[in-house]
Amino acid sequence: MNCVMRTSTLLQRNLTWYWRTNLAVLLGVSTAVGVLGGALLVGDSVRSSLRDLVLARLGNTDFVISRNGFFREELASAFDSSCPIIAISAVVVHEPSGRRASAVEVYGVDERFWKFQAEPGQPPSGQEILLSAALERELGGKADDAILIRVQKPSAIPLESLHGRKQDVGKTIRLTLKWPEAAFREFSLEAQQGDVRAAIVPLTRLQRDLDQKGKANTILVANGAVSLDLIERTLKDRYALEDLGIRLRTLERQHCLSLEADSAQISDALADAASTTAKSLGLRVEPVLTYLANSIRVGGREVPYSVVTALDSPPAPSEPDAITLSQWTALDLRAKPGDAVTLEYYLWKSDGLLHTDSARFRLAQVVPLEGAAADRDLVPQYPGITESKSLHDWDPPFPLDLSRVRPSDEQYWKQYRTTPKAFVPLARGQQLWGTRFGRLTSVRILPPSDAYSNALRMALDPAKMGLTVFATKAQGLAAARGATDFGEYFLYFSFFLMVSALLLTGLFFRLGVEQRMREIGVLRALGFSIPKLRSLFLLEGTALAAAGAILGIGAALVYGDIIMLGLRTWWVAAVGTKSLSLHTSIAPLAVGAAAGMATGLGSTAWTLRSLQPVTPRGLLAGVEKHTSSGRWLLVASLVTVIALALLAAALVRELDQTAGFFGAGTLLLIAAVCFESAWLRARSSAAIRGQITLGVRSATYRPGRSLLSIALIASATFIIVSLDAFRRSEASAGTGGFPLVAESVLPLIHEPNTPAGRDALNIPRLEGVQFVPFRLRPGDDASCLNLYQPRNPRILAPPAAFLRSARFRFQDSVVRTPNPWLLLESETADGVIPAIVDANSMTYSLHLHLGEEFVVDQTRFRIVAALADSLFQGELLISEKSFLRLFPDVEGYRFFLLSVPPARAQEVTGVLEGALADYGFDIQPAEARLAGFHKVENTYLSTFRSLGGLGLVLGTVGLGAVLLRNVLERRRELALLRAVGYRPQHLATMVIAENLLLLLLGLVTGTACALLAIAPAVLLRGGRLPAASLSLLLAGVLVTGIGASLAATAAALRSPLLMALRSE
Amino acid sequence: MLEASSLAKEYPTPRGPLTVLSGISLCLKRGDAVAIMGPSGSGKSTLLYILGALEPPTAGTLTLDGRNPFQFAERELAAFRNQSIGFVFQDHCLLPQCSVLENVLIPTLVTNDHAGYRDRARALLEQVGLSDRLDHRPSELSGGEKQRIALARALIRKPLLLLCDEPTGNLDQTSAAVVASLLLELYQRQETILVVVTHSAELASRFPVRYELRHANLHPAAA
Repeated sequence: MNCVMRTSTLLQRNLTWYWRTNLAVLLGVSTAVGVLGGALLVGDSVRSSLRDLVLARLGNTDFVISRNGFFREELASAFDSSCPIIAISAVVVHEPSGRRASAVEVYGVDERFWKFQAEPGQPPSGQEILLSAALERELGGKADDAILIRVQKPSAIPLESLHGRKQDVGKTIRLTLKWPEAAFREFSLEAQQGDVRAAIVPLTRLQRDLDQKGKANTILVANGAVSLDLIERTLKDRYALEDLGIRLRTLERQHCLSLEADSAQISDALADAASTTAKSLGLRVEPVLTYLANSIRVGGREVPYSVVTALDSPPAPSEPDAITLSQWTALDLRAKPGDAVTLEYYLWKSDGLLHTDSARFRLAQVVPLEGAAADRDLVPQYPGITESKSLHDWDPPFPLDLSRVRPSDEQYWKQYRTTPKAFVPLARGQQLWGTRFGRLTSVRILPPSDAYSNALRMALDPAKMGLTVFATKAQGLAAARGATDFGEYFLYFSFFLMVSALLLTGLFFRLGVEQRMREIGVLRALGFSIPKLRSLFLLEGTALAAAGAILGIGAALVYGDIIMLGLRTWWVAAVGTKSLSLHTSIAPLAVGAAAGMATGLGSTAWTLRSLQPVTPRGLLAGVEKHTSSGRWLLVASLVTVIALALLAAALVRELDQTAGFFGAGTLLLIAAVCFESAWLRARSSAAIRGQITLGVRSATYRPGRSLLSIALIASATFIIVSLDAFRRSEASAGTGGFPLVAESVLPLIHEPNTPAGRDALNIPRLEGVQFVPFRLRPGDDASCLNLYQPRNPRILAPPAAFLRSARFRFQDSVVRTPNPWLLLESETADGVIPAIVDANSMTYSLHLHLGEEFVVDQTRFRIVAALADSLFQGELLISEKSFLRLFPDVEGYRFFLLSVPPARAQEVTGVLEGALADYGFDIQPAEARLAGFHKVENTYLSTFRSLGGLGLVLGTVGLGAVLLRNVLERRRELALLRAVGYRPQHLATMVIAENLLLLLLGLVTGTACALLAIAPAVLLRGGRLPAASLSLLLAGVLVTGIGASLAATAAALRSPLLMALRSE
Repeated sequence: MLEASSLAKEYPTPRGPLTVLSGISLCLKRGDAVAIMGPSGSGKSTLLYILGALEPPTAGTLTLDGRNPFQFAERELAAFRNQSIGFVFQDHCLLPQCSVLENVLIPTLVTNDHAGYRDRARALLEQVGLSDRLDHRPSELSGGEKQRIALARALIRKPLLLLCDEPTGNLDQTSAAVVASLLLELYQRQETILVVVTHSAELASRFPVRYELRHANLHPAAA
């Protein structure tokens, strides 16, 4: 025989001989590795799945160039591998069934898009429309069914200006459903995990119906190798002024260039650029603002519907209150210099109403209708007005009283057309008629220069003028990193499971060590030092941890797959997509294995600490060194004092109540376990009066084991009870008392609370119904419903009156104030926009905190208040004033809170959705919207609870193992008791008493501490304790524990009495 | 040379200190063998554990080969025990997971000095009559055989002092006789100091020097 006894041989012998205990340790480590690695894998998988979705839906699109308005589709030819499309939001209706879908992405494409995306088959042509699978499911229908799409009619002229056409903001297009020849790739420019609700229509058809022939509003650019910078430079080189809705007219007679805009208004930025460019070329500029006066009145006489121009130069006067009339007008009004002249005019104000205002002037001079005073080109193109042959042919978007129009007025129109009848100083005109869209109608550049056009083009930054390049794929991939780090969440969710596994690892290892105490004693007697012994056991632990880690990698894959399955099925409400799948990668598995192995090893090392204080003789005699109950009492008392201090701080609000109570509860849990430890140690010499006290004494024999069991059960119970308190109830104050909430696809320009607004919108008067219209800048959903990181969140602006109504509950604000809404109106010296967000979105989606500044689209915002659990979880809220300044181009109202008598909510919903169907007006009960958010939160909590419950099961298994070990170790003792007359049921009573003691201590400790921890949540946040389900769960644990006791007793009694006695 | 001088051992109890040993002095040189007898609870094992440096005395000094083990740090003490002292317990205390040969070699794992020990282990096992059971596990052996392995294990490091706590206490008469004979034969062959604690008058009678532990002190035993 060739035997060499080495440490490795002993290690090998130990591993195989104590295989049962070692297997338990190995399984414990592998569970920890599995849970940890699996959780990390889930995070990685969610991110990868979101990335996959972005890549699949964008196809070859790397960059997107888009504009709020339209531009030449030939601009796309400036870029290699690109295609122009029209992307627009719409209401889509399946005509045969009347089924309607709002907020559908409609893409107008042609064969260039098909080629660009390498789609099979042919793009839709003629009147055809293709629906995405999800939209097709939603609408139903079959090939050749009629599909109506309702889109916002493009209007260069701002709707919220006098000449904007507000009456008919939409356009309905009738198409025929085409069944795809082959499955086409779902295309979406939006990074969101939900189903793609999109329709694809022929580009030419959309161009024709929107009156945008040869135009597009989006260019898709492929080729990821090209940088954003290069795309922007190419765009700057190749765009034309008309792509920005700007044109330069040469006015021969006036010997100048006239810079005009399709919107009929020159923005301040454009005016500045025009002026600077002109000056750089040595040219002069003359700003022009022309407006329509309903009347020019002098005394009792008036001239109706007259063009008035504001200039900085003659024929306009220079004094602010002065006016110049043309000779024709002065004659008609019989006005002479010095007379008071009143101008009456319409103003469309931001309250959604048309107002008639007036201004008084002093007639400074009368000028003949010649030269600069006879310039009909001072007026921009107003559809419905400037091209009309007579005043009676005018078709303006505002009320016109044609009865006031006299033959002389018609004669003037026929002869002089849009020639102004009056001139006022530019500053005064701008004060009266300037809007957020601009304060000029044209800019004249004198003298005309061929170089000006290109110089202006070079001077303008297309991005600042609304023609923007987005690195859509890069942004989508960045957003795919997610608002929620699922890896982190599932680490939290799985934390208790992992801790349970590690505690069990430690417990089993401890059992193994305890089982071998005599062996350790022999080894120490033979000269093995404690470090040597410890290293021997650590070596064993390392071998077990390594094997556990290897096994755990497999477990991580299984665990990760199960969680992903859960996210696709049971917990789909939390993620809103079924497109998540497991993505295996080395890193999370390696991290999980390393961390699980390290913690497993740490757990065994901690267990080995208990070896030191016991003498070899004690080990040989089977004696364990126990710490005194005094030390435990000291620790328990200290922790209790800290917990009470936390509690007091929370009660006097020196500390956040939830954090304070939760911290105090956790500390009290630790203190309670320490007290129990002291108690168990003190009970070790308590009198034995019967089988039950004998059982209780057994629990004190190995206090370390008993304590681990109590700690496992108590912390699992703590987690489960506290989690349940955070479940949101259906009813909540988060609706602000508004029963209904609505959104529209097309903006509502008119004020629906006024008779005029209702008339314009064609909605009946509804008794007791009040609208609170919000302005909405579309963007990323910042709520928990969106898995992607919101980079450009939706922004809402409530009206000023709403701010003063102090509705909704706030969680906190930067300044203590009775109405934090008013903080939105505070002016900041640094120009930062005050914003309010929901506390949940702030924390979990935007990852911001109160008072923090953040930047969206180069604008700085600061969170001044956080709403408590509100229906505004998807957006930022800013004041209407800030909104109009930041987003002048975003018009009308698209978000509404509705005050409705609760009994009539359903009826009102039906009436309004029907009347405003063309606007894509969708009403939802406010509580349902809130419940949608709660559902996500509750699903997360359920996930946490499920995994916590699994931890509890592990805890119970651990308790069972401890019990079995205790019973088996006392087999001789039990046999002796039987020999002296104990019956099996007596022994069962003893074992159950021991187990029940540990179980009850764990359950009561965990529940009591958790109830304290969640008290503020229950009392203040409206959380509630689901007593029934909780009791059921805890009772289940109790029953399992008792079952384990009986099984352990049966196992102990199975060995024959004499054999057990003989081994004595 | 083993020298014990005025050894005392007290244990604290709620009712005051319990004196187990008091003023015990002993001087033994290589080749000496002593049997210590006494009733249960008289402190025999305590004395043995003190002599084996497993438990410190409350008072008195102990030196083995001129070295006081209780002045050593834990690591040195362990090494000292490993090199200088061999133990045989009433319960053999064999590692069930190891074979017979491996059990004998267990003390050699403390140092990495394995050279020659394999042959010595085989020789010792041959001397205790178990050369044909090298690969067996303890569970496959009788009580006497296990105790013989324990004896071989105790001698593997050529200790100066061999301490036996009731080495035949768990054995039948025949096995006890065999173990006793081996013990006396091997200690002489190894030239160690042998101290045996036993209840067995038969075993004690085979020792040239016998003490009885009574009233916390050693008294020469009657022949």
